[in-house]
Amino acid sequence: MEAIKKEYWKDKANKALGISPEDARITKSYLIVAFAAILVGGLLGLLQGMNRAGILELPVWLNYYKVLTAHGLLLVVVLSAFFTIGYFYAGLSHSLGGLLPKVRKMAWIGFWMKIFGFVLAVIPILQGDASVMYTFYPPMAAAPMFYIGLVFIVLGVWMLAFGAFINVANWRKNHKGQHIPISFFAMGVFVLLFFGSLPVAIEVLYIIPWAFGWIETINVMVSRTLFWAFGHTLVNIWYMTAISAWYVFVPKIIDGRRWSDLLTRIVVIALVIMNITGGFHHQIIDPGISESVKYMHVFMSLAIGFPSLMTAYAMFAVFEKTARKKGGRGLVGWYKKLPWGDVRFLAPFIAMAAFIPAGAGGIVQSTNQLNQVAHNTMWVVGHFHLTLGMTVVMTFFGVSYWLVPYVSGRVLTKEINKLGVIQTIVWTIGMVLMSGAMHWVGLLGSPRRTSYSTYFDNATALSWDPYLFFLAIGGTLLMIGVLLQVYAVFHMMFLAPKGETEFPVADVEEDATPTPMWTERWGLWIVLMIGLVSMAYVIPLVDFIVNAPPGSPPFKTW
Amino acid sequence: MKGIYYVLLLYAFLMLPPVASLMESVMIIHMHMQMTLFVIIGFLLAPVLQKKFPRFFEEWNPNGIPGILLFVIVIFYWTLPRSMDEALNFWYIELFKFISLPFLAGVPLRDSWRKISPSLKNGLIILFTLLFILMGWLYIWSPNQLCNNYLMIDQITLGWGFLLTAVCMIIYLAYSYITDFAKTV
Ligand code: HEM
Ligand SMILES: [Cu+2]
Repeated sequence: MEAIKKEYWKDKANKALGISPEDARITKSYLIVAFAAILVGGLLGLLQGMNRAGILELPVWLNYYKVLTAHGLLLVVVLSAFFTIGYFYAGLSHSLGGLLPKVRKMAWIGFWMKIFGFVLAVIPILQGDASVMYTFYPPMAAAPMFYIGLVFIVLGVWMLAFGAFINVANWRKNHKGQHIPISFFAMGVFVLLFFGSLPVAIEVLYIIPWAFGWIETINVMVSRTLFWAFGHTLVNIWYMTAISAWYVFVPKIIDGRRWSDLLTRIVVIALVIMNITGGFHHQIIDPGISESVKYMHVFMSLAIGFPSLMTAYAMFAVFEKTARKKGGRGLVGWYKKLPWGDVRFLAPFIAMAAFIPAGAGGIVQSTNQLNQVAHNTMWVVGHFHLTLGMTVVMTFFGVSYWLVPYVSGRVLTKEINKLGVIQTIVWTIGMVLMSGAMHWVGLLGSPRRTSYSTYFDNATALSWDPYLFFLAIGGTLLMIGVLLQVYAVFHMMFLAPKGETEFPVADVEEDATPTPMWTERWGLWIVLMIGLVSMAYVIPLVDFIVNAPPGSPPFKTW
Repeated sequence: MKGIYYVLLLYAFLMLPPVASLMESVMIIHMHMQMTLFVIIGFLLAPVLQKKFPRFFEEWNPNGIPGILLFVIVIFYWTLPRSMDEALNFWYIELFKFISLPFLAGVPLRDSWRKISPSLKNGLIILFTLLFILMGWLYIWSPNQLCNNYLMIDQITLGWGFLLTAVCMIIYLAYSYITDFAKTV
C-alpha cells in the first residue's frame, strides 16, 4: 500500500515538474547524435546527388561508394536508432513516472556501446575498406572491424530494448489494470528491434570469420535472407515510431481526442506479428527461392498493408471529428479548421499525406512482374526517400518541435515555429522533386547505387541526365532543409527561453470502451510472431542450406 | 453469426482442387498450413454446432475428456507420413482429411477447451511439444524417404518446421509459467 501511494505521488510530481534532469539528459544525448547524423548524412546525400547528376566528380579519396555507405548507415542506422530510442525513452520517463535508476544506467551503457561500435565501423569506411553500402551483404566484404562495430551497435540496441522491458514490467506490477498508450508502442518497437536484429546478429557473426579469412567461403543466399529479415523490420520500426506520434500526440496538438485505444493496439500487435516476414519482398528477384514460395510471400507483404490502411483511416477520422467540433463544415471544408500554421501539426500531416503515394509504390513493388521492372533502379531509391525521408523523417521533425523543448526545459518560440513551417515546405518541395525524379528515371532504367557514367555516351543513359538534374536540385533544397532543421533543434536545445513545455499525450473520447486486458499478452504475441517467422523462413532456409552451392570467397570491389 | 458464411467460404475455397493441390505440392504447407487451417475452420464452426445440438455435446462430451481424446487421436493420425501419402493417392482418404480435421479435431477441441482444467491444458501442450520434437527428429534425421510423394528435402524442411513449432510451444509454456498472466495485469 505504501509503495503504491509513493508511486502515485511520484507520477504526479513527474507530471507537474516535467522530466527529471537525469532522464532528460538521456534523451538529449540521443537526439543530439540523431541530428548530427542527419547533418553529416544529408551533406553526403547532396554530394551523391551532385555526382549522379554529373555535376560533381568526387575525388578518389572520397569516392561515390564510400559516400553512399556512410550516407545509408548514418541515416538508416544511426538517425533511426538514436531518434527512436531518445523519443521512446522520454515517453517512458514521462508516462511511467521516471526511469528506474537501473534502466537509466542501461541506457547509458547502450549509448556508449553504440557510439563505440559506430566509431569502429566508421574507421574502415573512411579508409575505403568498407564500401559495402548499408546492406553490406556478401560476397562484397568489408574489413573485419566494420562488422565488429556493427555487433556493438546491435548489443547497444538490445541493452535499450531490455531496459524498456524492465521499466514497463515494473510499472505494470505497480499499476494493475492501467493502460498507457505510448508505452504500448514502445513495447512493440523494442520487441521488434530485438527480434528483428537477431537475424542480422547471426549473419554478422557468420561474416566475421569469413572477413578475417578463417573460413574461405560464405553462403550468400543465407546471408542475404538474414539481412533482409532485419533490414525490412528496421524500416518498419521507423514507421511504427512515426505512427505512434500520429496516434498519441498529433490529436492533442490539434485539440482532439485519440482514436480507439483497442484498435490502435490491434494495429501495433498486427505489425509486430507480421512484420519480419516482409523481408522477402526485397528478394523477389533473388535466385534459389521457388516461385510458389515467392507467391505466398506476396500475401505476407500485402498483409502488412492492412494495419497501414487502418492507420490512414483512423487519422483522417480524428482530423475530421476534431475539425467539425471546432465548427468545420461541408464535405471537405472542415480542413480549414486545422492548425496549419503549427509546425507540430503541419510536418506530421504532410508526412502522412506522403504515405499515400509511398504506400501505393510499395504495393507496386511487391508484385512480382512490376518488381522486375523497378528492382535495383532509382525507382527504389525514390520509394524509400518518400517513405523514410518524408513520412518518417518529417514526423520526427514535427515531434522535435515539442520533444526538444520538453527535454531542454525551454519553449518553442514563434520564430522557431515559423522557421519550422518554412523548413517543412522546403523539405516537402525538395523531397517531391528528388523522389519524383528518382522514381521516373528509375522507370527509364537508371540503376541504383551506381556512380555517374554515360556508358560511352549511350543514348539511353544520356536521356537520364535531365531527370538526374532535378534530383540534384531536390537534393540541394533538402540540404537547406537539413540546415534549417538542425538550427531549429540547436536553438530549442540551447538558446530558446526557459519555460515549461507539455508532453502532449491526447485523451481518449469520453465514451470510449475500456481497453481489454488481453492486448497486454506480449508473450503470446511474441510466440505468434516467432511461429509466423518460422513458417515463412523454414522452406527457403532449409533449401539454401541443404542444397547449398559452393559458397563465395570475399570480394573487394571499391 | 454472419461470420459463419466467411468460414464456410474459406472451407470451400481450401477444398477447390487447384488450391488444394497447390498447398499439397509442398510437404510442410500440406501438413502445417493446410491441415492447420482445416482444424481452425472446425474451431470456428463449433459455436454454430454447439447451438444447434446442445444435447449432443452435453451427452458425449460432458467433461471435455472424450473430445480431447478424439482430437489427439485424429491429429496423431495425420502426423504420420503414411496418411499424407494416402491422402494424395486416394480420393476417399483426401475426403476423409477434409472432413475429419474440422469436425473430428477442430470442433471437439473448441468444445472441450473450456471444460478441461488448466493443468490438463498445459499437459496437452506438453504432449504435443514432445510429439513435435519426436516428429522433427524423425523427419530430419531419417535416412530414407518416408513419403512416396515427397522428396527428402521436403521431409527435412517439415522436420525443422516441427522443431520450430515445438520451440514456440516451449516458449509459450515458459511464458505462462513465469508471468502467470492473471496476476500481473
Ligand atoms: C538531404 C537529404 C538527402 C539527400 C540529398 C539524399 C540523396 C540520396 C542519394 C542521391 C542517394 C543515392 C542513390 C543511388 O545512387 O543509388 C541516396 C541513397 C540512400 N538514401 Fe538518401 N538522401 C537524403 C536523405 C535521406 C534520408 C533522410 C534517408 C533515410 C531516412 C536516406 C536514406 C538513404 C538510403 C538508405 C540510401 C541507399 C543507400 C544504399 O543504397 O546502400 N536518405 N540518398
Ligand atoms: Cu520491406
